[in-house]
Amino acid sequence: MLLSLDLNDPRPLHDQVAGAIRRAIADGSYRPGDRLPPARDLADALGINANTVLRALRELRDEGLLEFRRGRGVSVLSRPDARAVLAEAARELLAEADRYGYGPEEVIHIIRELT
Amino acid sequence: MTSKGRAVLALGGGVLVTAAVAGIPLALRDRLPDPLATHWNGAGTPNGHMSFTTALWAGLALWGVAWIVLTVLALRGPALATRLGRASWTGFLFGWAVLAVGMQGTTVAANLDAADWRQAGLPVWQAIAVSLAALAVGVLAGFLGRGAPDPHRDPAALPTVRLRAGRRAVWVSRASNGWLLGLSLASLAGALVCAVLAVTGVLEGSALTLLGALALATLVGLATCSTRVRVDENGLRVGFGLFGGLARRTPIDRIESAWVETRSPTEVGGWGVRGVPGAGRVTFMLRGGECLVIRRVTGGEFAVSVDDAGNGAALLNAYVAEAAH
Repeated sequence: MLLSLDLNDPRPLHDQVAGAIRRAIADGSYRPGDRLPPARDLADALGINANTVLRALRELRDEGLLEFRRGRGVSVLSRPDARAVLAEAARELLAEADRYGYGPEEVIHIIRELT
Repeated sequence: MTSKGRAVLALGGGVLVTAAVAGIPLALRDRLPDPLATHWNGAGTPNGHMSFTTALWAGLALWGVAWIVLTVLALRGPALATRLGRASWTGFLFGWAVLAVGMQGTTVAANLDAADWRQAGLPVWQAIAVSLAALAVGVLAGFLGRGAPDPHRDPAALPTVRLRAGRRAVWVSRASNGWLLGLSLASLAGALVCAVLAVTGVLEGSALTLLGALALATLVGLATCSTRVRVDENGLRVGFGLFGGLARRTPIDRIESAWVETRSPTEVGGWGVRGVPGAGRVTFMLRGGECLVIRRVTGGEFAVSVDDAGNGAALLNAYVAEAAH
């Protein structure tokens, strides 16, 4: 599972982790029925607390994306809906725009120019 | 030679070997004792025997099992995709054929015109000569049958991802073998039963040996039944065992490139840590399918069977490119 976190993202860490996992499921590398790596492995790799990852996983379970099964770990239940994926991508776009000194209004302007 | 060509060679040549293994004793049946001497001690004195029919079937089985396995491997194809695979396959086919025919030949020669199997002495040099001839033929055939060198990977075709400034990217995945885990737990149960029997005094001596063997099987099984693989800016980390405690790390500056290959246990020689010493290709095989393969700067290759290997290879290549700048 490929996860990336924005080091300057002001959102709570568990929201960021949930977003990263949502993106990994959305890009198709984990399909419904596939098992996720254990939360502890994800936490170790990201250098964060395992409870933060578990909180993110519970959020995604409540969204209906993941399923917790006793003895079988956490597996994918369904693909995230398009709006959630687009919101995540838009958030990334805004973060990147910010690095170049562009605000949300200017990004909206660029999108209008494209369409 | 193509994989199909090799299958034809294995089938055609194998029929000749089978004919020799069965034909030699059948043709000389009148001059052989029944039972036949089939096992000798270090001095060449017979110490084991089988009836003529059993010995015939045993000789055929020794050859036949290897013949069937090699033919199936050639028909299936992937085992012969690499130079190492082709060399081992060809070497084994020819070496084993020489061994099977040689063993049958020396057995028949030793028994020929003997009144009783106890008088059928086998000169030790014959056994050594057959083994050495099989080895020599195997090595030579492997060398001649190795085929074209493995293609070099096009750097532009390697998977990669875009690394963005200010983001930390990691890849985590795993693979496990349920059968191995089950066997380990079964041997753990066996070890516990042995321990109880030893403590209560029902079994002595032999129980301790069995306990030791089962405990070892449990430890080895649990240490190898799953892998946890991680890629981050430091490189590749492969953790072994149920809890991933043991780890093999490859720093990013020692990695030249990474990619995905589909490998099966039949290609690499089975499950577990597989490789030929000195060949520089090691595979940690838990299950057939997707493997993450890395080539080290020093030239060796390391592969590990793991899910979602494509993303792992892509991230490794991205970090390798970043480290090179």
